[in-house]
Amino acid sequence: MAKTYDYLFKLLLIGDSGVGKTSILFRFSEDAFNISFISTIGIDFKIRTIDLDGKKVKLQIWDTAGQERFRTITTAYYRGSMGIMLVYDVTNEKSFENIKNWIRNIEENASADVEKMILGNKCDLEAKRQVSKERGEQLAVEYQIKFIETSAKDSLNVESAFYTLARDIKAKMEKKQEASNPAGARTGGHQLRNEPQRKPTSWLSRCSLL
Amino acid sequence: MSRSSSVEDIPDQCKDLFTQDGVLLKACLGRPVTDLNAIGMLCIVQNPDGTKSIEWRPNDLITIDSDTQDQEWAVVNTIGRRQRTLSGNITSDYATARARIIKINLDELKTFRVTRNNQQMQFSTKPGVWQTTFYFQHGNAEIFVAYLKNHIKTAKTRHDRNTYVVVEPNIESQVLNRSFAELDIFTENTTDVVWNLMSNLRQRPYETTMEAFSKLTDIVYYGNEGMNGKRDVSEEVADLLTKSMSAIEDSTTLTRTDEYEVISVKPTLPPRPSIPRGTPLSTEKWDGLQDTEGRVTEVEGVKQLIFRGGVAHSIRQSVWKYLLDYHPWHMTHAELRALTKKRTEEYFSMKLQWRSMTEGQEARFSEYRDRKSLVEKDVNRTDRTHPFYAGDNNPNLVILQDILMTYVMYNFDLGYVQGMSDILAPLLLLLGNEVDSFWCFVGFMDKIACNFDMDQAGMKQQLLHLSQLLVFASPALAQHLAQKDSANMYFCFRWLLVWFKREFSYRDIMRLWEVLWTELPCANFHLLICVAILDAEKDILISKDYGFTEILKHVNDLSMCLDVDKILSTAEGIYHQVVSAPHLTDQIRVILGLPTLNISTSTHSDDQPSTSKVENGTDNERNMFGQDMDEGTLEYNGIQISIVTKTVWALLA
Repeated sequence: MAKTYDYLFKLLLIGDSGVGKTSILFRFSEDAFNISFISTIGIDFKIRTIDLDGKKVKLQIWDTAGQERFRTITTAYYRGSMGIMLVYDVTNEKSFENIKNWIRNIEENASADVEKMILGNKCDLEAKRQVSKERGEQLAVEYQIKFIETSAKDSLNVESAFYTLARDIKAKMEKKQEASNPAGARTGGHQLRNEPQRKPTSWLSRCSLL
Repeated sequence: MSRSSSVEDIPDQCKDLFTQDGVLLKACLGRPVTDLNAIGMLCIVQNPDGTKSIEWRPNDLITIDSDTQDQEWAVVNTIGRRQRTLSGNITSDYATARARIIKINLDELKTFRVTRNNQQMQFSTKPGVWQTTFYFQHGNAEIFVAYLKNHIKTAKTRHDRNTYVVVEPNIESQVLNRSFAELDIFTENTTDVVWNLMSNLRQRPYETTMEAFSKLTDIVYYGNEGMNGKRDVSEEVADLLTKSMSAIEDSTTLTRTDEYEVISVKPTLPPRPSIPRGTPLSTEKWDGLQDTEGRVTEVEGVKQLIFRGGVAHSIRQSVWKYLLDYHPWHMTHAELRALTKKRTEEYFSMKLQWRSMTEGQEARFSEYRDRKSLVEKDVNRTDRTHPFYAGDNNPNLVILQDILMTYVMYNFDLGYVQGMSDILAPLLLLLGNEVDSFWCFVGFMDKIACNFDMDQAGMKQQLLHLSQLLVFASPALAQHLAQKDSANMYFCFRWLLVWFKREFSYRDIMRLWEVLWTELPCANFHLLICVAILDAEKDILISKDYGFTEILKHVNDLSMCLDVDKILSTAEGIYHQVVSAPHLTDQIRVILGLPTLNISTSTHSDDQPSTSKVENGTDNERNMFGQDMDEGTLEYNGIQISIVTKTVWALLA
């Protein structure tokens, strides 16, 4: 079966070292969990294609090293990303406080309209929790970003987090398409899809149309 | 199969090392049909007795329509199906489910194969029968196979690329593993013999004439005539090498012509000599290199030997201390004992500094706290699949942590940076001793401290140098990378940061590191290692027209698939190509630590017609001939290098 897709979304996982970015990605891309993960050096990505409202969406998800020192290198990969998962560890107060710094980091290096989402990972470790769910929600409200607590280990909410982010990107993208092509939107709505070789601008250029 | 064990016992019985959800049982000998198509989790587990097994556990009693199995998982699956349901199973259904667990002991596993677009895996414990078949509903079996290979040694069968045969652990790895686990002091030379044997095996495919090269150092340094006769010997060997290199040149003319014809207007590199690796520095040689009081006088000779063939495993503990500047070469046994005593005291006084810090102090010392927390996080995920660091409450992890924390006190400004635990782990494993490991780590860090600069300037400069070397040594690839927005070489970041630690097995990284520590044959030889790896991949990268993301993926996926001896040999070949190139620029000379000629590069500036370039190139060649000869002897004060230079020039003449 030929592998085709309607959209390609580039997503990014960022957050402090050790919050579980790689585990979240591994859970989502392989539906697996490994007790002996290694720290990420440099950058890597994984691919998963999902079905979203009848469209095949290929997600290219980039995993980065968390330590601040490596940001000069890792931020080079922010370019062109359409969605960013900001991850903290509910058992680590500092990683939560740093979310604000990460948001600033995004503002400086990623495109302004990138979709964002905050993930409070390791919520299975209730006994070690340092950051309450309420505080996570509060922060999300403050920045107007969606928030969800996850557990890569127990496979909790990882799926829905990525689906939600992908759906938001898709909605935003379709809205943009309609805005840039109001006639098409009014007459048929999907006229854009039938035009071959159309080159959308900015990050839309990364979306491959069937 | 099922026991009366309570649910609470379950986690203690065996430990999941790796779990893969969404795996369907497609076939299993002796199972009722109702079990088939059950969805479950395929795991690699460690049993209480330390043995490992593959285990498949049914998630629940749900079976799914077999019609859907051939479709692409990505499309078929909804969120609902991917939800893990295991936690819900530990109820009354548990006993039933437990009885349905399929367990294959790794000791008994004979062969397995991966079919159907990498989505189906079959296992067998006796030849000719596939007892169990699993279907990977989510993604494919690649990751599972990769992790499985961490626990067993496999080989692909010749007739079927998809079938893996589990091979008995060979003597070498048994010895090595046992040594690692028990930290033998290696009183016997058995490993030495095995290592030599392995090394010879690898050499077999090379042209026999070229084998003379690997023995060069032995002849020069250990021939009957000793150092006095080096000139005579060297001339003989040079003559032999000239012949053998001409032979190689003849055999490769065709491809070379093909390769370089396209860019004939640009100056081309001389042919790449194929230089076989030598045998590791043996115990006998090492003993012979020390005088009666323990001084090592022939330092350059030792380094040459190590550069050529590495160090026999049995003497690494001793030799690495010298290579990592912990033990000065010129010290006697007595002086070394005194030094060790002094360094031990120093180490423990630094260790005491952080060990005696009170909770209150720590609470008011955020910079210290941050470093400590980073160290803890990384120690817990450093090489945990290796037996030496595996398992909970492993005492070696405590030592790893203590050394890194003490290093924080030794160099607080640098502190702890990710990657350092990767650098330390093989040192501790080999040396086994906390103090020795610390000081060797200090020595290694001194060599690569710039990798960990706060502003990453050192890494950026290396990446820049790498791209400049690549332009010179592999121009077609450099051009491709530039076209694909990848000329910044960021995809080599991991290689450089931890000196290829993540790309090789422990055995191979030890070999690579000890060779690089000699700092031969030139400065920044590790960048030529990068060039060698990339040059070997250039056909794939270019022909498949890999872009920005594919390049990164391809390079990342090379991890654990690289042949260290082949790469070392290629890198050395590239070195000789580069230094003997008529158009060698000062830029490249600076990177490789060669004296610059202060010749303006204008002879090859782009605005000149190609004919004049060729003429200038010929003139330069003659000019630089003498210079290079001098350089060889000046730079290394070693006879071998001048022979090589001479030979390569003879070849060009």
